[in-house]
Amino acid sequence: MDVEDMEMDIPLPDELEFLESNFHEPEQNQEEEEDHHYHLADLEPPAEPYSPQPPPDLEAPSVDIESSGHKRSRSSSLPEEEKRAKVRVTVQEDSSTEEAADEDWLRYSPPPQEPAAQETTFAKEKTLSRFASEIDGECMPITAPNGDRVYAKLTRFQGEERVKTLDCNGYSAELSSEPINVILERLEQEAFAKALEASSEGQSVPDVPEAQMVNEQLWVDKYAPKSFTELLSDEQTNREVLLWLKQWDSVVFGSEIRSTSDDVLSALKRHSSIVHNQKPLNSKFPRKNGGSKWSNGGRYVNSVSMDESGSSKSIQDAWSTKSRNIGPPEQKILLLCGPPGLGKTTLAHVAAKHCGYHVVEINASDDRSTSTIEAKILDVVQMNSVLSDSRPKCLVVDEIDGALGDGKGAVEVLLKMISSERKPDAGKQTVGKGQLERKSSKKGSKTTSLSRPVICICNDLYAPALRPLRQVAKVHIFVQPTVNRAVSRLTYICKKEGMKASAIALTALAEYTECDIRSCLNTLQFLSKKKEDLNVFDIGSQVVGQKDTSKNVFDIWKEIFHKRRTKKSERKSHRGNSFDFDSLYSLVSKRGDSDLILDGIHENVLRLNYHDPLMQKTVKCFNNLGVYDLLHQYIVHTHQMSLYVYLPLVAITVHHIVSQVQKPNIEWPKSYQRYRTMMTEKMDILNNWHHKIPPHIARHLSASSFVEDLISPLLHILSPPTIRPVALQLLSDTEKNDLAQLVSKMVSYAITYKTVKSDMLHQTLKSELADGLALSFVPPISDFINFKDYTSNHYVLSVAMKQLLVHEVEKHKILQVGVDKTRALANEGHEIIETGTPNIPLANTNVVARKSNANPTIVSSNLNTDKSSSAKDIGKPQNVGNIKKATRSSSSFFDRFKKVNIKGVESNDRSLPEEAILEKDRYPLLFKYNEGFTNAVKRPVRIREFLS
Amino acid sequence: MEIRVRCNCGEGSCEEWGIVELQGVVEPQPGFHDSLPNLHIGTLCRPSSQEVYTFTVGYHELTGSKVPLKKPLVVLKKVKHPDGESGCKVELQVVGVIRHKILFKNRPKALISKDSCEATYDP
Repeated sequence: MDVEDMEMDIPLPDELEFLESNFHEPEQNQEEEEDHHYHLADLEPPAEPYSPQPPPDLEAPSVDIESSGHKRSRSSSLPEEEKRAKVRVTVQEDSSTEEAADEDWLRYSPPPQEPAAQETTFAKEKTLSRFASEIDGECMPITAPNGDRVYAKLTRFQGEERVKTLDCNGYSAELSSEPINVILERLEQEAFAKALEASSEGQSVPDVPEAQMVNEQLWVDKYAPKSFTELLSDEQTNREVLLWLKQWDSVVFGSEIRSTSDDVLSALKRHSSIVHNQKPLNSKFPRKNGGSKWSNGGRYVNSVSMDESGSSKSIQDAWSTKSRNIGPPEQKILLLCGPPGLGKTTLAHVAAKHCGYHVVEINASDDRSTSTIEAKILDVVQMNSVLSDSRPKCLVVDEIDGALGDGKGAVEVLLKMISSERKPDAGKQTVGKGQLERKSSKKGSKTTSLSRPVICICNDLYAPALRPLRQVAKVHIFVQPTVNRAVSRLTYICKKEGMKASAIALTALAEYTECDIRSCLNTLQFLSKKKEDLNVFDIGSQVVGQKDTSKNVFDIWKEIFHKRRTKKSERKSHRGNSFDFDSLYSLVSKRGDSDLILDGIHENVLRLNYHDPLMQKTVKCFNNLGVYDLLHQYIVHTHQMSLYVYLPLVAITVHHIVSQVQKPNIEWPKSYQRYRTMMTEKMDILNNWHHKIPPHIARHLSASSFVEDLISPLLHILSPPTIRPVALQLLSDTEKNDLAQLVSKMVSYAITYKTVKSDMLHQTLKSELADGLALSFVPPISDFINFKDYTSNHYVLSVAMKQLLVHEVEKHKILQVGVDKTRALANEGHEIIETGTPNIPLANTNVVARKSNANPTIVSSNLNTDKSSSAKDIGKPQNVGNIKKATRSSSSFFDRFKKVNIKGVESNDRSLPEEAILEKDRYPLLFKYNEGFTNAVKRPVRIREFLS
Repeated sequence: MEIRVRCNCGEGSCEEWGIVELQGVVEPQPGFHDSLPNLHIGTLCRPSSQEVYTFTVGYHELTGSKVPLKKPLVVLKKVKHPDGESGCKVELQVVGVIRHKILFKNRPKALISKDSCEATYDP
């Protein structure tokens, strides 16, 4: 750098630092451009009085030649229309290459500019080429906005020379102390005013203020933080986000060297601290632009110089050492969450720009179906832009939790990319960093890996759609900035805008909006437009644009049970009340699920310790809840949704009745859910059971009457105290009869006993639970009448008795199944259509039984049972005793069962003559297996018997 | 006491018999007590070339194997020749020799569907 340059930079010491630390050629190109601007500014006629507007956000820091050329066009004194026409003409005339157009345009430009511009193009032509191969030595790609790409030769020597020539050529002695963007803006305004003037010459009255109003920006955009240090959000969060972004450097910028970024960081720190100190002095200095631009430049310097400087081995070493500690951050997605208006989006944008990224935002308003968003994200994450802005991109997905279904699509795509990234990671680690970069760029088309930072922004961290994302992303939760900080910013803006607002009012506003800067600013701007002042005491009644958000339901309960600001409300009771009412109403109605809110009230209201000696408050409360129930039921039944408006009023009434100053201890309402699930569970059991009961009994039972009237007596019936728990043989005839009746009852009601773990039946059955296992009714009918403070004092049978009953019931069931089968088969044979009454199949069985009577077999007893049962009534229990007698003769239960079935089938067969004969012919002899070893009968034989 | 056993056939040309040994009882169906002699007991077959035999009785199928007897048995036929007044002269004729038996000692398998196996016992 030569002396003149230094001199030029003297008023901006921080910029000087950058120049020193990042001394390098390509920047000189840009600097050269700036030189032009300065030069132009000097040539410009003196500007009008200093405009109160601060500089708007500048263009991208890496302004290339063409775009600056266009900017220059603004400075020409020709009227806009004329100029445009000219440019159009040239485009039509000439070839489409940008350079040609540029030169063409330059021909029309005012003469004082010409030498410098021509100088530039002239100098460039020497070293520019469309093909990199034509340039020997280092080259740097330059891309025009229309996609043309040229390569510029990089030579230190030439660059310096050029700067020198430029300096002596284009520079007059005068130096401007104003930043370039201020001048540019002034030029713009001037041009605009001139154009306006020209257009409104015909009309007599120039309507300047109106035009200004049209032109006016939203304050929110106007005063949005443009640099990192201007951010209002928590310093810690800011720094962490920045750190996370910086961790991407090694991946995104390839061989970006750690030390460089450190340099940049340290320089930045110094820079920002200086700026911070000097803030009142030159607050209009565009800090961010400077910072990111230089860091961008620095990247190129270092890579180039490294390649030049040397031995490949040392580079390799450097890379390998670096690859250890530099890598993409562990979590590839950053999730910022917090209430609206705290500057999440702003932070994401500012930090990304600060780190040299081009921010691409996907908002809730964009199309967010899975396929489109995948294409979009892939574009952003994998492509390097060929266009003018060659900075790597950073994706900001705003309000990812916004639309549930669509947001999920975005989340899915991101997760997929992360998971696909994880797999090849292991293999890649070994490869050097440079190769990695190349490789991943090659692979990009195949695997969808995430190689650019992605920042997601949400309001509700615990939205269900975000659950998978939460696990893989680095989460930062925004906290409210302190009211002081917000207020100081607000006062600053108010001062800037010439609006009168007391600090107290601003504080109240900030408190009211919970430090939602956006809504504060919108409100302020709205008021200033209306020429109103901010009213301290009536903020709630004024229009405060709030983002439509719902609060956590716990907060709502707290609001309902918690009484605020006793003193204030006493002082201006009326207004306080209405404010309370409004805020509560909006709170409850915004949340939506009034059911849950009222449930919470219902369960928590009694835990509050409000003063209520006569229980009047409590009664009122519950009356209100009753009203709610009625109303809700009515709405649901009649679908009069307009009545929903009145539901939150119940909550407000409750608030007025019971709210306390001390903090309520609120619990999530569980009992409703619990009882509901229990109810459905029991109804399920009951229904299942109901289906199991034979229809001729079940049809007389309705669920409610059954539970309310029948179960208790049924329990008494099912556990008669008269039966002794002794072996069956020892029972007297009447007792046997009783037992048989009981068994048949149990069978016909489909009730049996089952062993249940004692912990499952909790004290409800006061049976003997000592051994841990107990027999209890299945289905658990005693649970149905498990009402509060009710015990059906039925006799509980002993375990032995229960076991006996289980056995008998099982037997009976199997018998019935056999009988049913017989019936079915018989019906089939005789082609009798059943009519549903049990008597007809009964008759059939009788026939069968009589026919099979021909064979005196072991089964006869069973058939006898059949007969006897049919002789009486099928449902009647007397036959059970008979069965028992019959079965006692056979060795085991299963044995008997088998025989019953066999014989049953056979007897059936014989009832059909032809078939029966066939069966006979086929199986005249049956084999009966003897358990154990073979025992051939060896009988002693006397010789005499042989001989006689 | 001398028992004369006469063998009509020469050495080696004796008829060879076989024993089917079952672990269990073959019982006639209740309706067939009167017509027992002509009943078809079952089907014995050798499904493959191995010494594995199946015996189908009723709806049971037995699986067994051929095992050699430790001591061969002879099948004798007692022939009475009435001579004189006192009694008769008894003669025992050898009908066959038994060297093998087919032993079915496994639990029978119930047949659900009928299967007809037509192979017969082939000594």
